[in-house]
Amino acid sequence: MKVIGPEEIRIDSTLAEEVARRSGENVFLCYQCRKCASGCPSRTFMDSTPTELMRYVQLGMIDEAMKGNTAWFCVSCQTCSTRCPQDIDIAHVIDTLRIIVQEKKIKAETNNIRLFNRIWMIAMKYIGRMYEAGLVGSLNLFTGKPFKDMALGVKMIRKGKIKMIPPIRNPFPTMKMFSRAKGLKK
Amino acid sequence: MKIGYYPGCSLHSTGIEYDLSTRKVCDVLGVELAEVSKWVCCGSSPAHQCDELMSIALPAKNMVLAQKDGLKEVCAPCASCYSRLKVAQERLKDPEVKKDVEHVLAAEVPEDMEILHILDVITEKVGLDAVADKVVQNLGGVKVACYYGCLMTRPPKVTGKRDFENPTDMESVMAALGAEPLDWNLKTFCCGASFALTKTDVVLELTKKILTDAEAVEADVIAVGCPLCHANLDGRQPQINEKFSTDFNIPIMYFTELMGLAFGVKPKELGLFKHLTEVDDFLKERALI
Repeated sequence: MKVIGPEEIRIDSTLAEEVARRSGENVFLCYQCRKCASGCPSRTFMDSTPTELMRYVQLGMIDEAMKGNTAWFCVSCQTCSTRCPQDIDIAHVIDTLRIIVQEKKIKAETNNIRLFNRIWMIAMKYIGRMYEAGLVGSLNLFTGKPFKDMALGVKMIRKGKIKMIPPIRNPFPTMKMFSRAKGLKK
Repeated sequence: MKIGYYPGCSLHSTGIEYDLSTRKVCDVLGVELAEVSKWVCCGSSPAHQCDELMSIALPAKNMVLAQKDGLKEVCAPCASCYSRLKVAQERLKDPEVKKDVEHVLAAEVPEDMEILHILDVITEKVGLDAVADKVVQNLGGVKVACYYGCLMTRPPKVTGKRDFENPTDMESVMAALGAEPLDWNLKTFCCGASFALTKTDVVLELTKKILTDAEAVEADVIAVGCPLCHANLDGRQPQINEKFSTDFNIPIMYFTELMGLAFGVKPKELGLFKHLTEVDDFLKERALI
């Protein structure tokens, strides 16, 4: 946790406002009770706890909130959102931070999740359904680990659990959806 | 009883045995599953992590398709699909979100669609008495640790579940089959699902905790209701054993597979031989196959 001196005291609510505008969640309701941090299964992997992350957003500490790995280690298990006594959907706040990082192309410690999301959304757009073999293949290729989970993959193919042929049916409905969404964002 | 069926991507691939067993079990219980025609992926975790609008529009598209099929209720066995459909319904209550989503879909989103998890269909629509009536092969006190993971119950604001910290529906079903449901700690703990491919280390760590707790209460089998939980718990045991020098070999079965066995459905028809941690020896030992 970063400690700031008196000369640095200032609150910039731009980030909190953007989070509120996008998600409808008010981070200023957080009073740091730490229930989210104590229930978080992923906290030991994070630079800061979810509680600290909420404080960073309140104070507009953009670097700490966006560039560290904390938001990117959120497994979206919804435990924090479930237990928050102030009824803040913390997992939704974290999703919103991740969306801002990706949309604004901010450099952050995302550990391939940005890449994974992009590959997934491309499959959504052009296939309409998930194509596991293609997803794993391209992820491993782009991350330079072509043999990751090889033994597991071979087993799954043998058991008929992964299909090699993409499940293409009618891609036009999802392609149209994506293009209308793009129009809306502009 | 006819009900809409949204299998989702996993049930057509890695969770194929969940699809097979769900269909068989519903068949026995007299529930007609009508697969939503031309369904598309719900977007799952990547959509809600990178595109708020599409994360609502994709599930909403499926509701539109279900309505076209004349369906008023849709059940999704995958916990992630179920959660995304429910979250979409919740967020669509905001008129501005609804306006944008309907623009993306160029269609109106039905408001009164009922979204259910397959476990809800069995406990609420069919009922435990009807389940017990169909049992031809009592599970003979097999010790089951029922694992719910995250999204079958959380967040309660979205799922409407009351016993979200300690759900017991699956336990009731298991008891009706003659199995012995166990009391254990990590039934709603996360397995790390969405990180299976990107941060596998997290998955191994979390999954190990779940397996350790199930082993501590001497579970014969862990019953699950989510294809992502299944893929992690079932498929990652060799990697966990290698990393943590453990010796796990715990059968992980969909609760629908256990139901199918109790209903006398043939093991092959339930997809029981598709598991990565083999269940054959355990089932033979207990004279269930």
